[in-house]
This record gives sequence, structure tokens and C-alpha cells, in this order.
Amino acid sequence: MPAILEARDLTKRFELGATHVEALRGVTLSVQSGEFVALMGPSGSGKTTLLQLLGGLDRPTTGSVVFEGRDISRLSDDEATRLRRERTGFVFQAFNLIPLLSVRENIALPFTIAGQDANRGEFRERIRDVIELVELTGKERHRPDQLSQGEQQRVAVARALVTRPSVLLADEPTGNLDYTTGGELLDALWRTCESAAQTIVLVTHDARAAAYADRVLVIGDGRIKDEIDLGRRLDHSAAPLIARLAQLGL
Amino acid sequence: MGLNRLAARTLAARPLRSLLTILGVALGVGVLSASLTMGAGLETAIGRTVGNAVGSADLRVSSFLERGLADGTVDMIRGTDGVAVVAPSIERQTFLAPITGQPVKGAVTVVGVDPASYALLHPMELAAGAPLRRSDEASAIITEDLAASDGYVVGSELTIQGVGAPAHLRVIGIVPGPGSIAGTAGRSVVIPIEAARSVFGIGGVSRVDIAVASGTSAADVTQRLADRLTAEPYILASPADLAAGLRASTADFQATTALLAAIVLFVGSFLIINTMSMTVGERAREVGLLRAAGATRAQVVQFVLTGAAMLGILGSVLGIAVGAGLGAVIIGSLRALTGFSADVDGVSVSSLVLAFIVGIAITVAAAVEPAVRAARISPVEALRAGLDLPSARRGRFAWLAVVFVAVAILALLVWPRASGTVGADRALAVYGVLLLATLSSPFFLPSLARILGSPLTFVVRLEERLARGSLARDRSRAALTLGALVVGVSMIVGLSWTAQAARERASAWLIDVVPGDDVVTSIRPVDAAEGVRESLAAVPGVAAVTPIGTFDLAVRGVRMDAAAVVGADFLRDGRLTFVQGDRVAALEALDQGGSAILPVAAAKRLGLGVGDTITLALGGGTTLELTIDGVVERSIPGGGGEAILLGWPDASGRIGVAGADVFAVRFAPDAPRDSHVALETVARSLALEAVPLGRIQGAVTDALGRVFGLFDALALVAVLVAGLGILNTLAMGVLERVREIALLRAIGMSRRQASRMVVVEGLVLGLVGTALGAVVGLAVGAVLLALSGGFDTSIALPWASILMAVGLGLAASIVASYYPSRLASRVSIVRALKVD
Repeated sequence: MPAILEARDLTKRFELGATHVEALRGVTLSVQSGEFVALMGPSGSGKTTLLQLLGGLDRPTTGSVVFEGRDISRLSDDEATRLRRERTGFVFQAFNLIPLLSVRENIALPFTIAGQDANRGEFRERIRDVIELVELTGKERHRPDQLSQGEQQRVAVARALVTRPSVLLADEPTGNLDYTTGGELLDALWRTCESAAQTIVLVTHDARAAAYADRVLVIGDGRIKDEIDLGRRLDHSAAPLIARLAQLGL
Repeated sequence: MGLNRLAARTLAARPLRSLLTILGVALGVGVLSASLTMGAGLETAIGRTVGNAVGSADLRVSSFLERGLADGTVDMIRGTDGVAVVAPSIERQTFLAPITGQPVKGAVTVVGVDPASYALLHPMELAAGAPLRRSDEASAIITEDLAASDGYVVGSELTIQGVGAPAHLRVIGIVPGPGSIAGTAGRSVVIPIEAARSVFGIGGVSRVDIAVASGTSAADVTQRLADRLTAEPYILASPADLAAGLRASTADFQATTALLAAIVLFVGSFLIINTMSMTVGERAREVGLLRAAGATRAQVVQFVLTGAAMLGILGSVLGIAVGAGLGAVIIGSLRALTGFSADVDGVSVSSLVLAFIVGIAITVAAAVEPAVRAARISPVEALRAGLDLPSARRGRFAWLAVVFVAVAILALLVWPRASGTVGADRALAVYGVLLLATLSSPFFLPSLARILGSPLTFVVRLEERLARGSLARDRSRAALTLGALVVGVSMIVGLSWTAQAARERASAWLIDVVPGDDVVTSIRPVDAAEGVRESLAAVPGVAAVTPIGTFDLAVRGVRMDAAAVVGADFLRDGRLTFVQGDRVAALEALDQGGSAILPVAAAKRLGLGVGDTITLALGGGTTLELTIDGVVERSIPGGGGEAILLGWPDASGRIGVAGADVFAVRFAPDAPRDSHVALETVARSLALEAVPLGRIQGAVTDALGRVFGLFDALALVAVLVAGLGILNTLAMGVLERVREIALLRAIGMSRRQASRMVVVEGLVLGLVGTALGAVVGLAVGAVLLALSGGFDTSIALPWASILMAVGLGLAASIVASYYPSRLASRVSIVRALKVD
């Protein structure tokens, strides 16, 4: 089966005045359709930068990103915008909801931005489905500040999923959540992967979150240091992953 | 010192916002300084004009009647205790016979003087030739301007048109430039008084300038003159009275300019309050750090106020430069309007200093509330997150009211002295309306934004929704921005409406009172025996000619304009709108004598009505009793107001009016097309000037248009400042929402959409601001019209001006949103979404 998302020898260099930082130093990876991949590593390892390149939020210095068979690393701004709107979904650590919009309006944003009527039958159904998926039924009219943090992040997940993106990219989605709500969110992500064959790329430094993935790519110093294949499991205990990481001395 | 440097760096870190504030202060101070400079310039000009007019005289006695003050009166003045110098003179307008081969030039003012006494009070410097010596020599002193334009030199012969044969005089001296006789535009001739008497065939004198003896007060002499001069009516004035009269003629203009200056300054203070507030909100974390590091509340207040003072100083310096340019424009237009020369001899230092201080004071005053708010920030709270407490927003509004009142007080302090209380009531009323409008605008904002923004939802639904939400986020900030726009737009609408009404009224006035299509004027009274009326009536196409003689009267000791008219002609032509009395009876009574018709304004002022009588003092201790037979809405315009109408039997028979100086000419409905041209030719042959009524209307409305055009320009400055405020608010909104915009971009919003969102926000602000501004402007106009005594529902709404003002306001909003929209479109998704 062809990869849905591929990175080929990606480098990313940030110029900081006179000095520069090499965030990525040659990353190559591929993600299969329906796969749940976690990018794991310590702070400053380059995992967020890698995710941004994979999702077309930023451009690599060298190398290329191939998304659904198409090189997206040199897209124009308009093309990248369309890609983000139609093919990818993002979830960030900070929930990044629009405070003045209701839950439903926040979820419907991608449609509204695309100039579509979110009340039209098909879209309405999709919105209802994702709200059900993230278990927020009944809270459609709430404002973000009337929700708990876990609920807010689930709204963000719903918004990312509502366009049925080919890939869902999540950057530390549990970073701001406590243990229980974080677990609920990961369960929700896993459900979409399991039931709707949603491809997910998750960036995290938390082994418990990474343990939900089929495959964990360990990143350090701008490179992929190791790859741990956990396989699809119903049990998401982090123990096997932690044992592997310990073996690797991480 | 450390805190001061930090304050400076804080300002430098936000160059755009600092610049906008500086510009706002600069425009406010500029208009204020221009208004003050103009006031100072006018004062200088008035002083010079009065000095030229009366020289070193302490008092001036002027004749009321055409025939002048009798010799007996002059002798009586001379014999009054405490009078040291008596300089009688005669003033008349006439034409000079052209030098052979040259066309007739404009009219000249001939002043006949007694050389000996005149020289004591009016030292005359000559550019060439010699001064007058005797009071009966056939010599003349002319101005350099007249010599240059008409081709005279010392030794030329000057031929003056008088009552009889032209008089020939020799030019013996030339005074520099335009000379010192006021209101002659440089075309004046000074001749000996006896020569003037024989040329114009008059026995009296126009006026007597008096110097009082040293050790005597002018007030004592005034009292003595009042006791002695009972034989004929006269006006006694001091130089201060003359100056006051001149000042009064520019009072309205100065008052309106001062009002606009106050308003622009006020709009500027919106911008300052907003900027300082935003800076504090944004710097809450820094302020918290300062507090955590041990800064006292007082130091924090000092920190914020220092920053404000820096902006105030920079803005005021720039404003004074702006004011210099603006002042030149205002004075230029004042000269064009009134012919009153108001040169600024050098810069008035005191007005500059005043404008400078006011600029700084307002900036600092506007920063007091944000400073106090900053001082209240608790270190813990501030370090947790950036904050803008809701309670602070209410405080901001209370403070706005305080600043508004402060600006009002400042405006009263710098209110032009010339205008006295004239216009102050109007200014206060307008100010009140604006205050009410600004303070209530936040309540209208959400619903108006929804209503006016609704058409946009069809085109840019998401942008409209987000823009509206963004405006609702910090309602007090949006309201401040909105308030500035409302004030600017409303001033344009209000002033334009007033202007339109004034123009309509002026046009309607002339049509209502002048029984003719053309007006033929003479620079001297034309005796009925000269046959001018008959000559004009003989022009083909002329249906009727009626003579009107304008003169002055003293009614109960107050000078009043008067006009002698033929009642039957007005009756036939259907002019004059009667408020009281029977039209036919009143006009017929005029022609029989012993009757008068009053304009309603004078009737109200004097407390007179139909059936009352007025007694006029005539020469030789005689009096004339007139019965008021009618009160009219509008009467013939005179030099200082509307004229009381008398019949010719009283005017020429009893008062001594020598003749008509205006002929109203009515053409027949089927008159040939070239009738006006024919009339003009005949008029010119009689040394008269024929002008169509339409052209007079045009001139009047043009003059009004120019005055109000200037006011509109000043109101435009307010819109400009409001535009800066919008730019500031939108840019601030974008900077605050960088994260939100980045998120929208991350989930698929294009750069164009992001930029459009900000433009829509500006547009919604503009729509609400201009809509409110138009409504408030009509309220301002209604107040101005009502206070100037003429608001009624028949005045048409100024649709064109409303459209223009709305267009301008919207344009300002859209232009202002350009930069913030670029900011929004350039937001870097990666950088903005970085978790800190």
C-alpha cells in the first residue's frame, strides 16, 4: 500500500540574527493510510517543526514532503491554504478556539472559511457526527469559556475532523490536560483511527500518549533516532513502550 | 531616571501606535494653534485699522444724517471743556474723470480734511511731494496704489465728479502703499475740507475727531458732549468702541473656529485615551514585573504619565508646525471673505505657548486613568496573563467624561475674546449633544453593528461575524474609536446643514424683499430731480423701477439701518411678508408719511408692534413721530442688519435723505433677452452699476459657502483624527488576535480572507460611526439653527452633505484598515501558534 504521507530527507534551518538553529537535519519517514503514528522526543528535538512541515504550515529548507503522492513542500501560499482547508486537520496544545463563537460554530469554521453553508444537510450531518464522536452532544451552543479544558480540546479535535481530512496532525494535544481528561481525549483520537481509519500523526513527549500509536518514531537532535513498532492494540498501556525506550537508553 | 528611560523605550517599541498618537495630538494642537493665531492676527489687524481710522484721537463724533453735522455742532464741540483738538472731516465716494484715453477705473473715497487739525491727529507720511497746507486750496494727496493704477504723479491734474461741474485739483503729495483710510482698498484721495464741500455741495461734516486735553478723561468729555449736543442726532465712539464693532463682525467666525478647535482636540483625546489604555493593557505584564520588583504605585503612575508627556511634547511641537500652515490658510480665507486684512505680523508667541501647553495637558490628562489603572494591577494577576479588567472599562468611560469636561473648560479659557458670549451658548449646546452621543454610542454599537453589517453577511459572512465579534470584545475601545468618528462626521453634517439653511435663507430673503430682477446701485444718493428713475424705466423691457434710499437712523439712541421706499411699488410687486398689520394699509401709509414698517427682529428687540409710535430726533431740536403700521418677516438688508422702512415723504422731506442709492428694476415678462445688457449700458452712462439679483444671491451664497467650506475643512481634520483612531484600534485588534488569526489560517483561512476580516471590521465600525454621525449631525445642525433663531421643519435635509460625510467616514475607515489588514494577512502561523 502506498504511503499517504512521506518526508524525504527534510532539513529545516532557522536563522536567528547572526546565528542559526538546525531544527531538522535530514528526516525521512512515511505514514501509511489509516496508521496512527506518534512522533516522540524531548523538548527542542524538532518534532513540532517536523509536524508543521508535514501539514504544510511551513516549508522545509531542503528535502520534500509528499502528501497523497504530491510534493507539498513548494506549494504557493494559496495552494498550501487549500491543502490545510481540505486535506489536513490540526489540533494544537493550546486549544485555539475562537472565544466568541459557539461550540458548533467553532467546529463549523472550516466550512465557513471555505464559503460553504454549514447548515446544509451533508455538512450538518458531519458536524453532528463529530460532535457525537467527541461526546459533546448537548453542548453545541456553549461558548468555549463555558467548557472544561478537556471539552475545549475535544472541540478542537472535532473541528480538525469535520472536513474528513486525509491526515490529522496533533501537536501535544494533551499537554494542557490533566491525567483523566488527557486519557479521554486520546481515547477519542484512537476511536476515530479505529472506526473511521483516520490517519493520525501525533507529536508528544509523553509515553502514555505515544502508547496509543501503532508506531512510535523517536526524534532527537533533528533526526529520527529510532522506530518502535507497537502494532494496533486495544490495550493502550504504556508499559511495553517504556520498556523499549529504556532498552534504547531514552 | 531609569523609569523614564523605560517609558521612552516602551513608546519606541510601538512606533506605529506612538506615531498615531503624536499625529492625533498634532492635528488637535494644530487646529487650536491656528485658531489662536488667527485670533491674535485679527486683534493686531483691528488695532491697526482703528489706529489708521482715528489716529491719535480719543473720541469720534459721527453724523447720523446725510447732510452731516452742522457747523454749529462742530463749534459746540470745539467749545466743550477738556477738548483740545477738533478735526472735522467729510467722506464721500465718487469717481475720478479718467485721464484722456484711459477707461474709467473703480470708485474712490474722497476725504475732505482741515489740514491743520487733521495733521495733529493723523500724522501723514509722504512718499513724494508735499502735505496739504490750507483748507481751501485745490490740491489733493493720493495713495501710491491709486497713483500706480490710474497713472497719476505729483503735479497731475485730478478731476473729481461732484454734484455740479467736475472739480479740478492738483496732486501735490503721495502717501505710501494703500494709505491709511480703512475700507478703500487703496483708492483714497485726501483733499482740503472746503474743496470737498464745494465739490459735493454739502455744508456739514461727516465726522469730528477729538483729542482731549491732558489731565481730562475721555469719559468726562463724553458726558459733557452728551449734555451739550442736543441739536441733531450723532454717534459718539471711542477707539475701543470702533475696535469692538470690528471685533463683533468677526466674532461668529472666530467662535466657530474655536469650537472646531475644541472638537478636534477632543477627538484627539479619544485617540490618546485609547492608545494609553491599550499600552497599559498590553504592558500589564511588564507593569506587574515592575511592581514585583519593588516599584511603588506612584512610580507606575509616573511611568505611564512620563510616556504620555513625551507623546504630548512631540505631538504639540509637530502641531504648532501644522498650526502655522493651517493658520495661514484660515487667515487667507478670512481676508478673501471679508476683505478685512488680518496679516499676522510675526508669530504670536503667547498663542503658540498656550497651544503647546494645552496639547501636553490634554495628553497627560487622557493618560491619568490608564496610569491609575496600571498602578492598581496586582503583580500576581499581571504575571498570570495579560489582562483588561471589565471594571477598568467602566472607569475608562467615566474618565472620558472627565476629559470632555476638561477640554470644555480649556476651550472656554482660550475662547476668542472678540466673540464674547456670541457663539458660546451655541458651542456649549453642540458640545453637550456630542458628549451625549459619544457616551451613549456603546449602547447602540452591538445592535447597529448587527443591522448595518447584515448586508455584508451575504458576501462575507464569516468575516462579518468575526469582525462584529471582535468589536464586541472590547466594547469601550470600539466605542471610543466610534465616538471619534461620530463627532467628526456629525460636525460635517451639522455645519453643512447650517450652511445650506443659511444659503437658502439668504436667497429667499432677497427674493422676498427686493421688488426687481436687477438692482442698480449708485455710490451717491441720486436726487429724484435728476431723472435717473425715468431713464432706467425707458430701457426697453423694463416694467417698473422703484427708488430705494438707504440711510441711518437713531431709534432710542441706537443706530439702525433705514430705507426709504415707495410703498405702492412694493404693493404692486407683492414683496414683503407681513407678520403684523395689513399689507395694503401699511404700504399705502408709508407713501402718505408718518408711518414705518419694522422687520420682526427689530420689532422684537425694541418691544414694538403695530400701532406703537417711535420718535426720531431730527436736527434743530425737532422730532419726527412715526406710527408702526406693519411688521414684516424680512426687510431690506442694510449695513448692520435689516432696515426699518419709511416712505419717501418722511425720508427726503423731514430727515433729509438726499436721494435713492438703489433702484430695483423689474423686467416685463415678455422683455427682450438683452434687456439686462441694455439696462447695464444705460446705468453705466449714468455712473451707476446694474447687477442681476441672481448674481447678488450668488455672491452672498458664495461668501457663505466659503466660510462654511473652511469650517468643513476643519471638521474634516476631526474625521482624519478619527481615521487615525480606527487605524490604531484595528491594528491593536490584530496584534491581540494574532493567535486566533494564525489558527484560522492553520485550518484553511487564506491570507485574503484574513485581511478581508479586518477590512470588514473597519467597514462595520465605519458604517455604525457614520450612521450615528449623520443622525447626531442633524441634531447638531438643528441646535445650531435653533440657536441662530431659525429652525423650522421647512428646512430641507442636507442629503448631499450627509452622503458626502458618510462617504468620507467610510473611506477613512477603509483606508485606516488597510495597514492592519496587511498585518493580519502576514501573521506567521508557525510563530503565532508557538506555545509559550
